[in-house]
Amino acid sequence: MARPAGRQGAHLAGKRRLFWPLLAPAMALYLIFLVVPTVITAVLSLTSWAGAGDTPEFTGLDQYRELLGSESFQHAFLNTLAYIVLGGVGTFVLAFLFTMVLRDMRGGRLVRAVLFFPNIVAPVALGMFLGFVFKYQPNKQGLANFLLEGVGLDAVQFLRPENVTYAVIGALIWASSGFYITILMAAVDRIPPYLYEDAELAGASPWQKFRNVTLPLTWDVVGVAGVLWTINAMKIFELVFVLAGPGTYSPPIEAWTLGIYVFDRSFGTRGTPAYGVACACAVLMIVLVSVFVVLLRRLMRRDAIQF
Amino acid sequence: MSTTDTTRRPPRRPKPAPGSRRTSPVRVLGMAVVLLFTAFNLFVLYWLLASSFKTPVEIFTQPFQLPRQWFVVGKPLRNFIYAWSQAGFGSAFLTTVLLVAAAAVTVVLISAPAAYALTRLGFRGSNGMTNFIAVGMGVPFQTVIIPLFVGMSELGLTNNLFGLYLIYVALSLPFTVFLLTGFFRSLPDEMEEAAAIDGASPVRTFVSIMLPLASGGLITALILNTIGLWNETLLAIVFLQDNANFTLGRALFTFYGAASYQSEYGGLIAGITIVVLPMLLLYVVLARRIITGLTLGAGK
Repeated sequence: MARPAGRQGAHLAGKRRLFWPLLAPAMALYLIFLVVPTVITAVLSLTSWAGAGDTPEFTGLDQYRELLGSESFQHAFLNTLAYIVLGGVGTFVLAFLFTMVLRDMRGGRLVRAVLFFPNIVAPVALGMFLGFVFKYQPNKQGLANFLLEGVGLDAVQFLRPENVTYAVIGALIWASSGFYITILMAAVDRIPPYLYEDAELAGASPWQKFRNVTLPLTWDVVGVAGVLWTINAMKIFELVFVLAGPGTYSPPIEAWTLGIYVFDRSFGTRGTPAYGVACACAVLMIVLVSVFVVLLRRLMRRDAIQF
Repeated sequence: MSTTDTTRRPPRRPKPAPGSRRTSPVRVLGMAVVLLFTAFNLFVLYWLLASSFKTPVEIFTQPFQLPRQWFVVGKPLRNFIYAWSQAGFGSAFLTTVLLVAAAAVTVVLISAPAAYALTRLGFRGSNGMTNFIAVGMGVPFQTVIIPLFVGMSELGLTNNLFGLYLIYVALSLPFTVFLLTGFFRSLPDEMEEAAAIDGASPVRTFVSIMLPLASGGLITALILNTIGLWNETLLAIVFLQDNANFTLGRALFTFYGAASYQSEYGGLIAGITIVVLPMLLLYVVLARRIITGLTLGAGK
């Protein structure tokens, strides 16, 4: 670097002076609309506040106690956990299976594009569409029961409160696997082909190739995908709200997620609002995301992951 | 644009030698599962499009057949006309197009300078700040929705499209900044240095050298935000109460209960189609860009 030091120095200083003007608008909006509200939510979770017209009153951890003791929260918590864990395991197993096949399949790119498409559909539309698929009504069956009855089986009440979580998990695996297949395949495509050729010459089975080549070389991407899954599964709201409920007001509590809990206690049309408890639940959502992300990172322990 | 595309293209795979590809039973089974899954997705699409032209009876009793009844009666677009004019999807469509376009463009206009500053200006601590903003991607909207609602109603910005626009812009920032830092980071240093040696000011270097180089990334960010905001419903449910300024997702949400009650399933499916179809067309045209964009952050 044999450039005149003075000029380069001046240029560098000029660049540094540019930093805040360029970053400030984004940073300001981020702080005002995300960081500060998150802090306010945490503070409000320590108050009993019904919402507009009421004054927040400091009650310490009372809201958390009320939250943890309520049946609706327990359902919401366990369901969200099921979406994250069962849905995650299902999606990733499916995605791994598909990467084994898709790597050297003709028309693989087209297949990937087709599998990906549910990810560009609004969750609210997806939920309503699935309502048609899972509909149970004698003589007016939805697609799933139409097929079941077509092969001589009994129709299933997929959308009953106690079943709907599993129906949604299945739907979720179907709808999101395309996204994770695509992520993993992008990583697989970067693996040098000679590694697979070597494995092929050695007579490796698809499973051995996956176990000894694909998995170790895409491990960091798998870790990032796991984090993305957790974040997305935590937010689930519209899909369940529409699928399990009558539409515009909350579904039965057996089907709730944490997202629905917060919504119902603050903006729901049944019962009086309870902003304090809703905020406590929102704080727990952040805690749960953080715990899962830290656990996943620990489990995947690779320094290369950037997030 | 081409810079990032060429670096991301996967290495070309040589054709396998003849006879080297064995057809094991596991492989055949795997292929069958993949093809079945793909066929199912295509069928779902067919089902949605076909049903939006059917009567409720046809939807449930003839899920595989092509639509018939409305064509026989001579009103093939009956469901769409119902959804568009009776259920308010027409005005919601216009609202959504304007709101989403404005918000997506604004997000990119604000995020691009920020991402440039964070990656290219050699500012100490910019790595930490990038992470600080990226963490925002992991915050569920439900966490901030109560303070935002209270704050916005103080300012009279609830039930107001400008208020929703502000929220859309702000909440889309973390992802967009994160995505664009990836693009700016992948640009070559040489152009910037050459511009500096030629005497271009830092601002000029950014505007006339780096922004055009990153235009592929900017367009990708624009498309991904368009899809994300088009499909957004939760915030619209909380912040909009008046039918007059409903977005598509919001209109669909409100229509759902009424449609099931009146058995207006044809109109409902047409409504779903009106929400889904524009994004589907966008996807068909731009599938590759959308997919690489969404996987960019994860695949790095």
